[in-house]
Amino acid sequence: MFIHIFKYRFKSLIRNKSMIFWTLVFPLLLATFFSLAFSGLNDHERFNTINIGIIKDDNYEKDFAFQQLIQMLSKDEKPMFSASLMNEEEAKEKLVSNSIDGFIQVGSPMVLTVHQKGFNQSVIKLFLDQYSQTYSAVINIAKEDSTVLKDVITKLEEGALYTKEFQLSQANPDNTLMYFYALIAMSCLYGSFFGLREVIDIQADQSPHAARVNLSPVHKLKAFIYSGASSVLIHTAELMVLLAYLYFGLGIDFGHQFGLVILTTILGSVVGITMGALIGVVVKGGEGIKSAVCIGVSMLGSFLSGMMYGEMKYIIDQNAPIIGRLNPIHVLADAFYALYYYDDYERYSMNALSLVAFILIFSIITYRIIRREKYASI
Amino acid sequence: MIVHVENLVKRYGELTAIDHLSMDVRQGEIFGLLGPNGSGKTTAINCILSLLKYDKGMIEIFDKPMTPYAYDIKKDIGIVMQNVAVFEELTVYENIDYFCGLYIKDKTQKEAYVNEAIAFVGLGDFIKFYPKKLSGGLLRRLNIACGIAHKPKLIILDEPTVAVDPQSRNKILEGIVELNRQGATIIYTSHYMEEVEQICSRIMILDKGRIIAEGSKEELKSMISLGEKISVEVFNLKDIHVKEIEALPNITSVVYQDHTLVIKSHKGKDNLESVLNYVRKNGINFGTIYSEKPTLNDVFLEITGKELRD
Repeated sequence: MFIHIFKYRFKSLIRNKSMIFWTLVFPLLLATFFSLAFSGLNDHERFNTINIGIIKDDNYEKDFAFQQLIQMLSKDEKPMFSASLMNEEEAKEKLVSNSIDGFIQVGSPMVLTVHQKGFNQSVIKLFLDQYSQTYSAVINIAKEDSTVLKDVITKLEEGALYTKEFQLSQANPDNTLMYFYALIAMSCLYGSFFGLREVIDIQADQSPHAARVNLSPVHKLKAFIYSGASSVLIHTAELMVLLAYLYFGLGIDFGHQFGLVILTTILGSVVGITMGALIGVVVKGGEGIKSAVCIGVSMLGSFLSGMMYGEMKYIIDQNAPIIGRLNPIHVLADAFYALYYYDDYERYSMNALSLVAFILIFSIITYRIIRREKYASI
Repeated sequence: MIVHVENLVKRYGELTAIDHLSMDVRQGEIFGLLGPNGSGKTTAINCILSLLKYDKGMIEIFDKPMTPYAYDIKKDIGIVMQNVAVFEELTVYENIDYFCGLYIKDKTQKEAYVNEAIAFVGLGDFIKFYPKKLSGGLLRRLNIACGIAHKPKLIILDEPTVAVDPQSRNKILEGIVELNRQGATIIYTSHYMEEVEQICSRIMILDKGRIIAEGSKEELKSMISLGEKISVEVFNLKDIHVKEIEALPNITSVVYQDHTLVIKSHKGKDNLESVLNYVRKNGINFGTIYSEKPTLNDVFLEITGKELRD
């Protein structure tokens, strides 16, 4: 009986064009749209080595401190500056051809020449201002009381240690990932359409098909479970297509724990399907109203988890974290986020447990309502 | 007894939808439940099938108490519901195979039954069609095939001919008689008295959830005083003539309206002749004239004071 019901349910669902559009085609289109909209967004925020020119003249030759500092800042694996010595004519030519972002003439004051405004030009200016201030301070102190000079230099060196970068993981920061994670979470919740369909086709007071199935010699809950299994299979397969498209097609990074990403997606699918089933049994009214509630819940959850406005996730986390914990899309997106950014599983485990709790709560309520075999009215 | 219902009561708040209904359906008969829309036919069927909760009463099918879990009873029942209950995304063949498969596990037997059902309802040319491509009549036939493919002992058809063209309706009615001839007991609900009169061996008339009459069509017609209804097309009739016709022997009522004179009388041999004699004697010009035996609508009208289609 399982194979019989499963097979026909599978055929019936896979041929439902509207359902397949919303649960498969729409997320793929949205992912493509996101990819186009966000392309290059991170490039602006990623720091690249700045090419600068330094005029080689007497002032430069005499300023050993500046020479040492420039050498130091040009040395790292990913240095701040790539400095080249040149004469003024050569520097102007390179500036016009954009080979360098600016050139510096050492002296008092330091002179910075740039061809246009921009992020790199601001960094060079900031660097020069800070150098000039520190240089002046040291010279003034040395003039007034040379005995404290050593202490001052030590303090300045300590100043550089006030903050320390601490990396939580190997992952590269990427602001656009949250949008894609929220999109996957939304697609999981679109499984609610499958759950809703299952309830409509098993509750005799909701459709003639359901009444007809209720009159057959098949246990209602068994029929519901057999039929629901095909919903889970189809929706999970759709989500796998979405993941593959995001990963292989759009190059979205899911970190190095892809197995858990898949597991989380499957959990998300079951959350979506059970949520749709719950909406089907709890919300009064026709199929149209119930579908609207499914869309509304998914859209509101997506908005609150930052799919339409990235800052929303942080606003909710800071001001009303309970809303985030009760929003399955927020929990799902955060689970993907935790898998990407954190090497330990504490945050992920909390999210995974929340998903299991959602599934249990939705299923228990649905079961208590659909287990009845007789209806007050049809 | 195939179906035994005793004192069934079903209420929706203040409204009593089924009011102490008792009925017995015997093996091999076509039992008709006749009544206007809202009389409680479908509610009664849903209670009998244990789909609806009811407030009072006892229901037995095949001499066993009917419950939602009585799968051994359900496997021998075929249902054709008032609303077409097929899956839009499955073809004609797949729909019948799906519903048949809920009852029949053996693959070979199921395939044979499905093909028989397709042939029975005449959908052989449409097996790969999706329901939305079928006409109303063909869709109703598919609905019937889904309900009867597993060869049930008891078939319940709830208004199976609603919104069906006359040709398909005749085909459906002939099919029901054939199913009965093959051994199935049938419960047939309808508000079309002609259909019930045509195929049912025993009839129960319902109104407002109550039984108002029960028996064979002959028994039902014998319950009322009306024996004959004579209609005469007359273009000009004086009031005095109406009164004089009313005074003729055996006549119970005379109504002249829209150039038609309708005369109702008790049973008797010479009613038509005496009316004809009066018309000729008084030089009244008339067009058509015909006599009808009472219908189930007349039974309903006499008992309830309203037309069956009200």
